[in-house]
Amino acid sequence: MKAFRLSLLCTAVLWAVAPVHADQTRPLQGIRDNSPQLYAIQGATVHTEPGKVISNATVLVEHGKITAVGENVEVPAGYQRIDAYGYDLYPGFIDAYSSYGLPKAAGPGRADGPVYQADRVGGNAANMAIRADKVWAREFTPDADGAKTLRQQGFTVVQSAQFDGIARGQAVVASTGDGLPGDLILNANGSQFMSFDPGSSTQSYPSSLMGSIALLRQNLADANWYRDARGKTDWRFFREAPEYNAALEALGKIQTQGGVFETSNERNLLRADALFDQFNLSNVALVGSGYEYARVDAVKAANRTVIVPVAYPGAPAVAKIEDMADVSLADLRHWERAPGNLASLEKAGVRFALTSYKLEKAEQFWPNVRKAVQYGLSKDAALAALTTVPAGLIGMQDRVGRIAPGYQADLVFSKGDVFKDGDIVATWTRGHVDQIKPLKVPAFAGSYPWDLSGTAATLELTGEGDKLSGKVKVGDKETDLGNVQQHRQNLSFTVALKDVNGRDGVLQFSGELVGAQLTGTLLQPDGSSARIALNRTGLAKADDKDEPAKVSFVSPLTYPNQAFGLASPAKRQNVHIKNATVWTSDKAGKLENTDVLVEDGKFVEIGKNLKTPSGFTVIDATGMHLTPGIIDEHSHIAIEAGVNEGSDAVTSEVAIGDVVLPDDINIYRGLAGGTTTAQLLHGSANPIGGQAQIIQLRWGVTPDELKFKGAPASIKFALGENVKQSNWGDNFTSRYPQSRVGVETSIREAFQAAKEYKAAWAAYNDLSSSEKKRVAPPRVDYRLQTLVEILDKKRFIHTHSYVASEILMLIHLADEVGFKVNTFTHILEGYKVADEMAKHGASASTFADWWAYKMEVQDAIPTNTCLMASRGVVVSINSDSPDLQRRLNQEAAKSMKYCDMSEEEALKLATINPAIQLKIDNKVGSITEGKQADFVLWSSNPLSVYAKAMQTWIDGTKYFDRAQDAVEATRVTSEKQRLVQKVLAASDDDKAGSGGVYKSAQPIWHCEDNGNFLKLAFGHQH
Amino acid sequence: MKAKLTVLALLVSSAVMANDIVPATKQSGAVFLNDATLHTVSNGVIEKGDLLLVDGKIAAIGADLSAPAGATVVELAGKHVYPGLIALGNQLGLLEIEAVRATDDTREVTETNPDVRAQIAYNADSEVIPVTRANGISYSLVYPGGSLLMGQSSLMQLDAWNWQDATVKAGVGLHVRWPSASTLSSPWNPQKPEDVAKENAKAEQALRDYLDQAKAYADAKAGGLVRNVDSRWEAMIPVFKGERPVYAHADDARQIKMALQYAKEYGFKLVIVGGSDAGDVANELALAKVPVIFTHPFGVPERDDEPVDYAYSTPAKLQAAGVLVALSLDGYWDTRNVVFGAGQAQAFGLTAEQALATVTLNAAKIVGMDKQLGSLEVGKAASVIVSDGDVLDYGSSKIRYMWIDGRAVDLNNRNKQLHDKYQQRYSR
Repeated sequence: MKAFRLSLLCTAVLWAVAPVHADQTRPLQGIRDNSPQLYAIQGATVHTEPGKVISNATVLVEHGKITAVGENVEVPAGYQRIDAYGYDLYPGFIDAYSSYGLPKAAGPGRADGPVYQADRVGGNAANMAIRADKVWAREFTPDADGAKTLRQQGFTVVQSAQFDGIARGQAVVASTGDGLPGDLILNANGSQFMSFDPGSSTQSYPSSLMGSIALLRQNLADANWYRDARGKTDWRFFREAPEYNAALEALGKIQTQGGVFETSNERNLLRADALFDQFNLSNVALVGSGYEYARVDAVKAANRTVIVPVAYPGAPAVAKIEDMADVSLADLRHWERAPGNLASLEKAGVRFALTSYKLEKAEQFWPNVRKAVQYGLSKDAALAALTTVPAGLIGMQDRVGRIAPGYQADLVFSKGDVFKDGDIVATWTRGHVDQIKPLKVPAFAGSYPWDLSGTAATLELTGEGDKLSGKVKVGDKETDLGNVQQHRQNLSFTVALKDVNGRDGVLQFSGELVGAQLTGTLLQPDGSSARIALNRTGLAKADDKDEPAKVSFVSPLTYPNQAFGLASPAKRQNVHIKNATVWTSDKAGKLENTDVLVEDGKFVEIGKNLKTPSGFTVIDATGMHLTPGIIDEHSHIAIEAGVNEGSDAVTSEVAIGDVVLPDDINIYRGLAGGTTTAQLLHGSANPIGGQAQIIQLRWGVTPDELKFKGAPASIKFALGENVKQSNWGDNFTSRYPQSRVGVETSIREAFQAAKEYKAAWAAYNDLSSSEKKRVAPPRVDYRLQTLVEILDKKRFIHTHSYVASEILMLIHLADEVGFKVNTFTHILEGYKVADEMAKHGASASTFADWWAYKMEVQDAIPTNTCLMASRGVVVSINSDSPDLQRRLNQEAAKSMKYCDMSEEEALKLATINPAIQLKIDNKVGSITEGKQADFVLWSSNPLSVYAKAMQTWIDGTKYFDRAQDAVEATRVTSEKQRLVQKVLAASDDDKAGSGGVYKSAQPIWHCEDNGNFLKLAFGHQH
Repeated sequence: MKAKLTVLALLVSSAVMANDIVPATKQSGAVFLNDATLHTVSNGVIEKGDLLLVDGKIAAIGADLSAPAGATVVELAGKHVYPGLIALGNQLGLLEIEAVRATDDTREVTETNPDVRAQIAYNADSEVIPVTRANGISYSLVYPGGSLLMGQSSLMQLDAWNWQDATVKAGVGLHVRWPSASTLSSPWNPQKPEDVAKENAKAEQALRDYLDQAKAYADAKAGGLVRNVDSRWEAMIPVFKGERPVYAHADDARQIKMALQYAKEYGFKLVIVGGSDAGDVANELALAKVPVIFTHPFGVPERDDEPVDYAYSTPAKLQAAGVLVALSLDGYWDTRNVVFGAGQAQAFGLTAEQALATVTLNAAKIVGMDKQLGSLEVGKAASVIVSDGDVLDYGSSKIRYMWIDGRAVDLNNRNKQLHDKYQQRYSR
């Protein structure tokens, strides 16, 4: 360890002394370091805090603290004076999201087979991704190189924890100075760092984004329970005393110590916000992804501090014409707009801090911040984001982040405006000086006439410090100086004579600058030397730096910000649809030459030759067919990072609603096929899967707006090959159940536990308030709570199923346990047990003609719909794929082909019948006066292969128009071309990027997709 | 003679993997199809037309024929007659249950299998075949899958005792899984574009090496210099002679362009199978007279920026450029829907006749069987189907009869058998 002391007045040159560090607890060794630390910094332009500047100010520093700041501060005798005239002085910068001083996190966890349990050590959590009990201060080890790098960027304080896991442990707040860890740690109990990324955990759970969210939610609830239960004396609801759990204890401290949650895109930012809101944890800050601009209003509404990296992505590779096909418009747009993210946040009024996190190299920090300023970020906001805002985040706003009396002497000296083109020359941490470059640099620049062995020459020097360079001019000839070396006032260089006067050999000069005179020794090629003195006659012209060009974007910002996104949200209209063939899907049947009036999002009148009310838009639908919007009982579109939480056999705590993905282009494509409503189901990897989410395919909206308002809750169950892992490979043979016999017991057991859970809570809730003060409450268990909702008939089961035996099994089990199976989905052997299904009151949603792909679908038949319907089962056709979701009308028409279903009944397979199954038939599913105006205008008979959806409307709002689609397709092509041109014309620096990432492509999900999907949630490097 | 469906007799035992539907016997007497709408494909539509089938061939066609004495007359007023449909490029008969490995004979290991032949693993008793047939599909080009040089395809007729009876034409094409050209990686295994490009280059070099070796073998053989047989390269001699086209499975425009270059360089005939981006290189394909077996008539756009109807409209783009295009739904159980793929192509730009040709005459041309199959013409095989109405549209595509080479094919199948069985449960 080194200690730095300031030497000569005004020159600020340092030397190292023997390492005798202040060590408060170790017996004295050798001679103590008791050098005084009393400084007066004079003449600087002092930025005391954002928006406040004092010119020509004096700052007094006494033993690591600032004692006075002002224009007329008197310097006490005995202080070392530091002339900082011409420098800008800033409060030391703070990075609230760092892993400085800690071992690097292990990469993503990998295991050969599934891992269902974590090893328990001490009081660790039951899940390996919950490392909340880590106290990083205990492992904090200052790292001289890392500290130096941070100080070079002006960082004086960091909050640091290892970036590994969903709960990552309590961060340490430390100074970036050199010294012993105990001296540097400013706060050993900083924020809890968190993310949705399980990191190095090898545990199978969670394997999806919704699983990560559910796991954190459960743990936050557990933390509340733990605090409560451990404080009680009566543990009647437990077999034993509540366990000791250090992880839960630590999570319970977020309320007082705060949290920092890392996000990988703006959607995860909003998800995290919602999760912490649920637990009233307002003091959790969110680490941004650089994509905040894409939903900046929602980010603003979250009302949390966002810690924003300034890493920008490299330009997509478009140089080769053929490879342009691999680049999406979305990525091109992000490349263009990423540097404008901070300006966008400032404009929206979001509170934000900056972090150097995610940069490939620390040196990219300032060029990138300056780029953000060039893109419209104000310097005051930038300074606040580096000082006062992060100071507040780490709870030290009264000690760091300002240049004010009583504050730590954390100071940054910059030659010039650090937010424009300044150069950081010194960083002080609590009065300890790291002089990166000398404060006082002799000004060599200028012209020096030179008699070069009789030839009239001029020595021209330009720049300063390590940028000093020069040339020798003779007439119109000139040659660059070689080997220029400058140290303080000393300068040496060489001159190749050949280019000056045609002679052989190289001159060597070494001398010093005194005033305006350069004197020193000139060594000739032949070994003779002479002293020369050159007098500066003119100052070199300062480089006129052009103001950077004003930034403009060639791409619009749309919602979502990708091809076919909308520049502004679609608007509801009142319309008069004239002279259509109306397929009502209700008792009125099919009506020829009929008008429909749509007002305020509802069908208000259906009839012939209606008058157009004023203000209504007329659609001439002559020759066209009008149907209700298509409804899909079984879809996996619009889901982010995992359709299955395919780890545990029961995962009723995970919710598709947590991971709805409004940016999925398949929403738009579904609309193009007339689909307006879909139930997004969890996959079929578990007997009891996750909670489903019914959505309306409103393109361009937020996740919340996508959700079908007022639709009842539902859940996915599954039976058969997928849940017994028949086709998962040899590694998956250990989870219970592995056969159909175990599927039944798995479900029975889960419901039994749910009943006991419900009873425990009922008993607890019956306790008197005085008893409740003593009695530890049962633990909130979201998994069981969801099953209680089923028993209470507040949540409805849609169960993936194929063969007759398992269908009957679940009906029997349902009767025994006391729940209802709402809908059997897929149900390819439903025709074999249609009477039993009808009797149970279950409906059926099936494929039109899928079969043969696995053992349990060998008996699938395309007449399944007709056979089940004939026995009184409400039947629908579902897609299970974004492909079929674009043509469910065709899938329905197959029942006309295979079993002569009437065309009106066939259409109902995709309109009113699925609405009934989803319990939304009071709102949608038919063209009935009073119902929500979800409708499709078709070019011809909707059950024909030749029919095209020309317009698709939801709630009286047009979300798809085939004519506009064609226009947009052309516009996408030309915008892409303009962006490609911009990339091609960009500088190498702008093309290279600095570590920012693009969003991961989401695959097309299928029911049986299992495995770990989380890498899809956290971006990848291009 | 009427092909009566003897449903009740066939109801029993459906739990076996082999179907129990008996192949038809050879045509013995003339069959006269009376008063139907004849979709000739090659010569327009003949309303109230008649078709005479004799000895497995079409003997006469016209608007006002009279039935020869002794002919079985089938009254088809209001019905529609088409040539038997041809589905190109699938694995029908090679695969029974995708998830059950023991039933999968679709692919061999190694990258160099030009000598493997699809037809010899074709299970004529597959349950999937009669189900497919019931939708009017009479012929199928089956190919072995795999990587790189995958093997030889064979055109099969779908009503046979065994593969030997089923084989119409063997060694139709050498199927090559063309090396990937996209720099994108799978979302499941994200890789940097430059790393993907390296892997692509490696795969292309492998293909080039194999072609060079095979060409060297063919040259040596022609010079009488081959002492020991190399079964792989022996099987490629017809490719270099232009007798067996390369069926390049290629979707990306870069792959297609690469395949066109290779075809020129190595002197082989080329057919593109897949063709996601074929619409973008339609002019190049037309110029080189390279046909396309388009496998994505219902395709979801491969890229986020592509228009929603991109795949739907590709057959029309190819047709407009003058490319010979046929359709396929690569796979096996879904092959029965290829006929509706043609309907979809019609919805997005083909004429009715052009759409029909994608599953009949165009397909026959590509496999070099257009003198025998693919249209209703005198002298061609008596392979025809009868539908209630437009065969390309769901509501009317109800197949009532199928003849293959004049043999009346039983349209019963496992789907129907199960349907009928369970109808009995509910009628008791």
